[in-house]
Amino acid sequence: MLVRKIKEKLFLAAISIATFLTILPLFHILFSVFANGLPVLMRGGIDFVTETLAPPDSELGGIGPAIVGSFVLTFLASLIGLPIAVLTGVYAAEYPNSPIGKAVKTLLLIMMEFPTILVGLFVMNILVLPMGRYSAISGAFALAIVMMPYVAVYTEQALKEIPFVYREGAFALGLKRAVVVFKIMMSMARKGMITGILIGIAKVAGETAPLLFTAGGSARIYFAGLDQPIGAIPLLIYTLVQQPYENYHQIAWGASLVLMLIFLAIFLPLRLSIKEVKL
Amino acid sequence: MNAIETINLRIWYGNNEVIRGINLAIPENVCFAIMGPSGCGKSTLLRAFNRLLELNEIARVEGDVKLFGRSVYGMDSVEVRRQIGMVFQIPNPFPHLSIYDNVALGVRYNRLVESKRELDKIVEWALKKAALWDEVKDRLKDRASELSGGQMQRLCIARALAMRPKVLLMDEPTANLDPISTRKIEELIYELKKELTIVIVTHSPAQAARVSDYVAFLYLGKLVEVGKTEDVFENPKEKLTEEYLTGRMG
Repeated sequence: MLVRKIKEKLFLAAISIATFLTILPLFHILFSVFANGLPVLMRGGIDFVTETLAPPDSELGGIGPAIVGSFVLTFLASLIGLPIAVLTGVYAAEYPNSPIGKAVKTLLLIMMEFPTILVGLFVMNILVLPMGRYSAISGAFALAIVMMPYVAVYTEQALKEIPFVYREGAFALGLKRAVVVFKIMMSMARKGMITGILIGIAKVAGETAPLLFTAGGSARIYFAGLDQPIGAIPLLIYTLVQQPYENYHQIAWGASLVLMLIFLAIFLPLRLSIKEVKL
Repeated sequence: MNAIETINLRIWYGNNEVIRGINLAIPENVCFAIMGPSGCGKSTLLRAFNRLLELNEIARVEGDVKLFGRSVYGMDSVEVRRQIGMVFQIPNPFPHLSIYDNVALGVRYNRLVESKRELDKIVEWALKKAALWDEVKDRLKDRASELSGGQMQRLCIARALAMRPKVLLMDEPTANLDPISTRKIEELIYELKKELTIVIVTHSPAQAARVSDYVAFLYLGKLVEVGKTEDVFENPKEKLTEEYLTGRMG
């Protein structure tokens, strides 16, 4: 009796400690980014998010080009990736037993876990090398590849979760397949699809690896054209921390906080509302 | 002319033959009940009439179904389903759409009307026909998911009627409803059959007796007996039918 109770207590203690250890890094990251980034943001003020990078060993300046670049890259990546990804998800949901349909589902799941640096290398080979320079379009293309499997898989799942009776109901009204899928099923699945789209966007907004060999980075020019190099917040952080200058390390902390705030702004509402996805 | 006629109809799911050669003639403007125990193939048979079986990849149909003399398998499936409305066992109005849009949907996407006014008229007409208008006329913009089960089912009837079908298929339409809602639907059937042909599937002989003019008894995918409802119920020719009607089977 007593032994059993002790065992139970020990087990409870063990899983509590394991849980604590698992989430500890998360809180440590949140804490250190806030603790180091907030003073930088306070000091830099609004200039920090609008101005361009200061020279080494001087003032803070700002990370404006990187913020603009991140938005441009994410927007372009969505423009390229979302339509294709949604159609892929629809195909996988509509033709689950066709050979291609079956393969697509598996390939998407592999793609989701694929090392993103390889995506960067791939795009470098097919776009950067032929063009002869880093560019916004190459970066966006790499991000689109990273984003697509999330959106496609969420779309497929959201469509599949719709009970069969609604499908039958829609077809029984004499509606064509395209109308059933694109007008009715997709509007019923919209919450799940939006979740996938936002996760995809949040994911690529924070990605560094696919941009290393594609976007090129730009800390002093906001936007020079689709075929010109462009900045991104994660890329800027990566570059700055490798520099020997104290003010650059400060800017990197500030940029980290900005990135985290953007990420949380997308993710928190999403996670809090995710239970509403049910029909 | 018969509204629906089946000729040597056979249906398989994979290798499993669920409808085993059925010849059935359903006259115009009657309520025709198909009754039988669970798993006898009633719902499958119904879905062969409007080709909804085609949503099921493993279903295979042999023989023919005629709609007012024309083979439905020679017609465009969309055209068939415009002429044959259907109401399901689980009330399935689209929960994310308004009451109005649920009724308007089929008419709108099939481009059967020219103007919004015409559409308003059809929606009102269909909701009145489905005996739902008085309950929802002030809340047409509310979501369909806010209605009660019985109201949802009448909304589905309105949705089907808005397409002005010649035939209405009902797959156990009251199986998930309370007795009062069931009664409302049955009264509705009585009114509707004056203008169109109703084929209702039911596992309840009592319901078949209450609503139908003709009845077919289906058992293990075969047609056991068919005839005027009163004849079948008073003088069943087959022993199986008698056993089913007296509750010794099913």
